[in-house]
Amino acid sequence: MDSKRQAGSLLLLLLMSNLLLCKNVASEPICPNRSGCQVSLRELFDRAIILSHYIHSLSSEIFQEFDAQYSQGPGFFTQAISMCHTASISTPAGKEQAQQIQQKDFVILVIHLLGSWTKPLSHLITEARRLPKAPDALIAKATEIQEQNQRLLEGLKKIGKLVDPEIIDNGNYAVWLGLPSLQSNDLQSLLFAYHNLFRCLRRDTHKVDNYLKFLKCQIAYDGSC
Amino acid sequence: MKENVTSTMVFILLLFLNIRLLNGESPPGKPIISKCRSPEKETFTCWWKPGTNGGLPTNYTLTYYKEGENIIYECPDYNTSGPNSCYFNKKYTNLWTIYVIRVNATNNMGSNASDPRFVDVAYIVEPNPPQNISLEVKQPEDRKPYLWIKWFPPALVDITSGWLILQYEVRLKPENAAEWEVHFAGQQTHFKILSLYPGQKYFVQARCKPDHGFWSKWSPVTSIEIPSDINMSDTTMWIFVAILSAVICLVMVWAVALKSYSMMTCIFPPVPGPKIKGFDSHLLERGKTEELLGAFGCQDFPPTSDSEDLLVEFLEVDDSEDQQLMPAFSKEYPGQPVKSRRLDLDNDSGHGSCDSPSFLSEKCEGPWANPPTFHTPEVIKKLENLEANITCTWDPQTKSTKDKILYFHANGFRSSTWPLPQPTQHNPRSPYHSIAEVCKLAEDPRAALATVLHKASKDALKSSKTTETGEEKKAVEQMEVESFTSKTGQDTAWMLPQENASFISAKPLDYVEIHKVNKDGALSLTPKQKESIDQTEKPRTLEIIKEYAKVARVMENNILVLMPDPRAQNIALFEESAKAAPLSFQQNQAEKDMACFPTTPSNFRLQQDRLDYLDPASFMHSFHG
Repeated sequence: MDSKRQAGSLLLLLLMSNLLLCKNVASEPICPNRSGCQVSLRELFDRAIILSHYIHSLSSEIFQEFDAQYSQGPGFFTQAISMCHTASISTPAGKEQAQQIQQKDFVILVIHLLGSWTKPLSHLITEARRLPKAPDALIAKATEIQEQNQRLLEGLKKIGKLVDPEIIDNGNYAVWLGLPSLQSNDLQSLLFAYHNLFRCLRRDTHKVDNYLKFLKCQIAYDGSC
Repeated sequence: MKENVTSTMVFILLLFLNIRLLNGESPPGKPIISKCRSPEKETFTCWWKPGTNGGLPTNYTLTYYKEGENIIYECPDYNTSGPNSCYFNKKYTNLWTIYVIRVNATNNMGSNASDPRFVDVAYIVEPNPPQNISLEVKQPEDRKPYLWIKWFPPALVDITSGWLILQYEVRLKPENAAEWEVHFAGQQTHFKILSLYPGQKYFVQARCKPDHGFWSKWSPVTSIEIPSDINMSDTTMWIFVAILSAVICLVMVWAVALKSYSMMTCIFPPVPGPKIKGFDSHLLERGKTEELLGAFGCQDFPPTSDSEDLLVEFLEVDDSEDQQLMPAFSKEYPGQPVKSRRLDLDNDSGHGSCDSPSFLSEKCEGPWANPPTFHTPEVIKKLENLEANITCTWDPQTKSTKDKILYFHANGFRSSTWPLPQPTQHNPRSPYHSIAEVCKLAEDPRAALATVLHKASKDALKSSKTTETGEEKKAVEQMEVESFTSKTGQDTAWMLPQENASFISAKPLDYVEIHKVNKDGALSLTPKQKESIDQTEKPRTLEIIKEYAKVARVMENNILVLMPDPRAQNIALFEESAKAAPLSFQQNQAEKDMACFPTTPSNFRLQQDRLDYLDPASFMHSFHG
């Protein structure tokens, strides 16, 4: 009798946990009640994608122009590679990995990624005047990136609210500690620091652009663009 | 011996090396990594170019390590992508990570490694070309036909997930064209070509590109033959447009043709040129004034003194309050100037609007049904000829308050009848008549003056008749100074030439006081003092003789009080009257008409001794000054 009861309660327990688990695993529908939500999500994503595409184009330009202007030989900057400060934010490295992430978590991820660049960009703009060869175009582009980044952040927060009304942004941005390297007196280390900064900026903006285009299809078009 | 052995050894060694070298065996050359590409941003492949293999079988290996790791991996797949390639499948591909890849070539002699290549898969995306391009010529009704190009994305790319966004480009050219026509198609997988040449064979290709990546290669060429019978232009529409525009053009041409004249006159109104009837410009060129003036109808200018016919008849100024001026005729004074006077025409015998010398209105014709037996018609006709040819600044047609002076040239009229103004048939031309009259008078005193066909003058004649002293052969030449009130609004200086007609022999004229202007616009003059008046052969009626008479004052009601000019006693009266009238006119608002006297007065050859003030030069000055 006892074994049967135990088995039955165990079964019940399993069943309950299964139900709970199933509920957890299954993704909650986006925009359950509000009718205009789906449409506004598409529009918000479209606008966000325009911004992210533009930001990445600017970052690519900065990277290539800096290399062209300040390189002192082929392969000069290969030694400059070091870890980006946003490496602490774990990001999907492929489509399969991206499909594994919850949509609302994905949005938070993108927001964190973007938000981690606010401070480095502002420091870059002020410190870049130390660069030797009239970096005015560079500074202008960096300023533009900074502006557009802020706008994209605001848009993403709106998207986040639509995707998950209870979204919480804990402000867990990656910390950037590269300021001293931007103020270095050694020209080579200075150039290396800038090169790395631009490389990481190009990468992260590419990630954001990629993720948003992916999320648009996943969230606003139900997985099939 | 030792030396022999050593040398032999060396020799053999060298031989060995030579033999090996002659065999071509050597360590492999340095391979070069030529290209790394990812077709869908999920896998990637690297290709290398081997160097020399050194004559020996060489083994190539690819090793890599990732950014931030110390582990060296070897290529997971050497075969999928063909020889000298390494294929990294999804499992081994991490985007946004730098791969440092090297290729090692190894043979029995040695090995050689390539330079490291830094690869970030996210930036090496180059898709395959689009596939399954389909071409079709579509001809919808009522629209232009077009070429419909459709294709599919490359096989490996996953479009639906949004992980890779592709943009397309198509190009086409007719078979024999040299250059391709390229069109950007965006993210759509179809395209419409509208500009086609019928009967041609077209080649079409397509390619694609990721949002941040490299263009694919062009797809294989697909071709299509455009049928020759397709209708590329909207001919029916153009035919309709052509017919409609032709119809409109015809209608417009027809309308223009119908109304061409009126349109031309509307656009280019005919400019009236100065013309004097009977005026022959050729005569002027030749400089024969006599002939010229003959055209005017003027004869024998300057007038000769022995013109018995041309008796200036002077107006007898009656100093009664009735302001009836009677022309006083005197044969003794040929060529006396005709006194201009204003006739006070109380009689209403049809004055009204017919007072105006420029009788253009037909209504004035009625009362003038019976022209008097006067020779005026002839003269008047000649006057008429002068109409537009007189270079006169005066506009006879001008209306409104211009006072006109009718000058009567009394040049010894012989006619026994009063010159009566001709009926209205001449009235319309009265302004010109005066000119002709002047001309006539100037030229031929005998020709005398035609009476102004003026109603007022007629009345004046009548009235003068009544008061006439009863002289015979009175051709009343009425110098009627007409002041036309504004109601008539017409100004003319009238002369009443009378051709060969009765000349009114005028009595010595007195100074005239312009008594009043009656309602009909006639200026009534009252003689102020009696003086002898020399009669001039010519009427100088037209002279604005400012120099010879003085206006004492202007009274109200447009009465001009003249002062005699001691210098010009003879014709002072005339002058004054003549002048008075114009002066009064001027005072009364007439500006132009005085200046409007015809140029013929210049032809006046007044005899200097008697008529110094009639010097034509003075005429000229007064007229044209």
